[in-house]
Amino acid sequence: MAFLLCGTVAVAVLVGGSPYWMYNMTVVALFATAAIGLNIMLGYAGQISFTQSAFMAVGGYGSAILGTKLAVDPWLAMIFSAVLAAIGALLIGIPLLRLRGHYFGMASFALALGTPSFLLAAASLTNGPLGIAGVPPLRFAGVSFLDPIPIYLLAWGVCIGAFLVEISLLKSHVGRAWRAISTNQDVARSLGIDARKYKLLTLAIAAVMASLAGSLYVEFQQYVAPDIFDIGLIMTIYLIVYAGGRGSIAGPLVGAVFYIVVPQLIGSLEQFQHLVFSALLIAIIVLRPNGIMGRGRQYAPVERILPLWVQRRLRRDYD
Amino acid sequence: MTSAGTVEPGSTPEGLVLTQVSKAFGGVTAVKDASFSVMLGQIHGLIGPNGAGKSTVIGLVTGFLRPDSGDIRFGAHDLNRMTPEAIAQVGIARTFQKATPLVGLTALENILVGMHTRYHGGVLAALVRTSALRREERGMAERAQMILERFGLADDANTDAGDLPFGKLRFLEIARSMVLEPQLLLLDEPAAGLNRVEAARLSALIQGIRSTGTGVLIVDHDVPFVFGVCEQVTVMNLGQILASDHAAKIYENPAVREAYLGTQRAQTEAGA
Repeated sequence: MAFLLCGTVAVAVLVGGSPYWMYNMTVVALFATAAIGLNIMLGYAGQISFTQSAFMAVGGYGSAILGTKLAVDPWLAMIFSAVLAAIGALLIGIPLLRLRGHYFGMASFALALGTPSFLLAAASLTNGPLGIAGVPPLRFAGVSFLDPIPIYLLAWGVCIGAFLVEISLLKSHVGRAWRAISTNQDVARSLGIDARKYKLLTLAIAAVMASLAGSLYVEFQQYVAPDIFDIGLIMTIYLIVYAGGRGSIAGPLVGAVFYIVVPQLIGSLEQFQHLVFSALLIAIIVLRPNGIMGRGRQYAPVERILPLWVQRRLRRDYD
Repeated sequence: MTSAGTVEPGSTPEGLVLTQVSKAFGGVTAVKDASFSVMLGQIHGLIGPNGAGKSTVIGLVTGFLRPDSGDIRFGAHDLNRMTPEAIAQVGIARTFQKATPLVGLTALENILVGMHTRYHGGVLAALVRTSALRREERGMAERAQMILERFGLADDANTDAGDLPFGKLRFLEIARSMVLEPQLLLLDEPAAGLNRVEAARLSALIQGIRSTGTGVLIVDHDVPFVFGVCEQVTVMNLGQILASDHAAKIYENPAVREAYLGTQRAQTEAGA
């Protein structure tokens, strides 16, 4: 359902040809791609992981540094960065996954916190706070991916690819192993499932998705700076997954649309925009605690968003 | 001590052998110098009052706990340094004392998780959904359905395991570990919470498992249940092994009667 709706909207935006909406929907696709990675780790394998913003930085800076300093072809730079991100995920995951649950979460949060500081400190590679400008854009057979339509199609192509990876793995014994580890790791291990191996796998897959999203964003903007990858980025990806519905296939997509499109729609409210957006977010948390597409199918009664004393008074009226 | 020839898999008559195993938790001794063995193709009971160290023994054997000292062997395998998943793969399956449904997965999917190690296809095959893997997946689902039928759960195949009543869940948990096709099955308090009919079904089921050559170790403090089904019984008290012998001989053992059975008998006599 959600996919059909989003597909229709995506085609409509393409046909409508508004560069403004096309840009927004491109960003939706990139955020959704990174969020699918988090959804696999968090929603299915049950790991509280904050690694996605660091791996988006690997993709973004990988493409920028390879493209500008080494004059590597942007396509190759993108692929090479993704491979690097996967290797990085394994190197970080092997020691970190000795920790379980919240402890792993805290350790990976340190990685997210440290990413912008590292990018500032490694100035000889990253130009520090100035960032890297003039990143060569993607080109293919005379088509420049700086134009709205090609980048729109490419970003959605990558996003759909990420969805297909998620869906095919989830349908298989690999996905079942993830869900088993998430509900009861001891039971999964007692059945011969190597929990650490499967958690590492989610980390590596998520890293590749994040890296591709980071590369595409930077090659499209032709610019990268450390503050893009600050703590706000991982919070945004978390917000997308939680609002959309963790552990649901369409969740990251719906969450990304909510995060990017809704503020644009209520933009005319000017100074009240943030207030209304926050109220909407609270309404989701109260009414759909597992997210818009979340597994809890039951909708909570609407009066639950009212203050408690009002609810009590309402209930008294019923009696 | 033994010559190299006797440690080949299958050639040793004994399945699981514990030698002088000890385990303490922060100064509190849970298991002390425990030695006993469980033969394959036998039903072995491990009984003892609460806190005797029975569940610790299961944890040690299945790799969830590491012994402080002593030796745990299974055929040719030294279990001391093996991970739980590796121990499961060499043929030791277990159930847990607490209810352990894999919530969010159906009963059928719970069985399929137990079959995980039987899959030939890896991650890449799953990613591109090769026809071989899809065929394998269909075969596994058919087998899982057959197993549910054998355990009387055929009608619950598509029920979320978290929604199953307790009795059915117990059988699902045993079915889930049996699809590993283990040589040794460890059951942690399998009869707890079951009614008479279910307990009788469980006894029959355990006897059926034994008849295929699989060893069964039952940890429980339900004495009538254990003596009703087990051929060999080991008695623990305060972390130590009091006796390990044929069930009939255990019943006569004066030390065991005094420490454990005796009090129980005194209670029933007092009640009568």
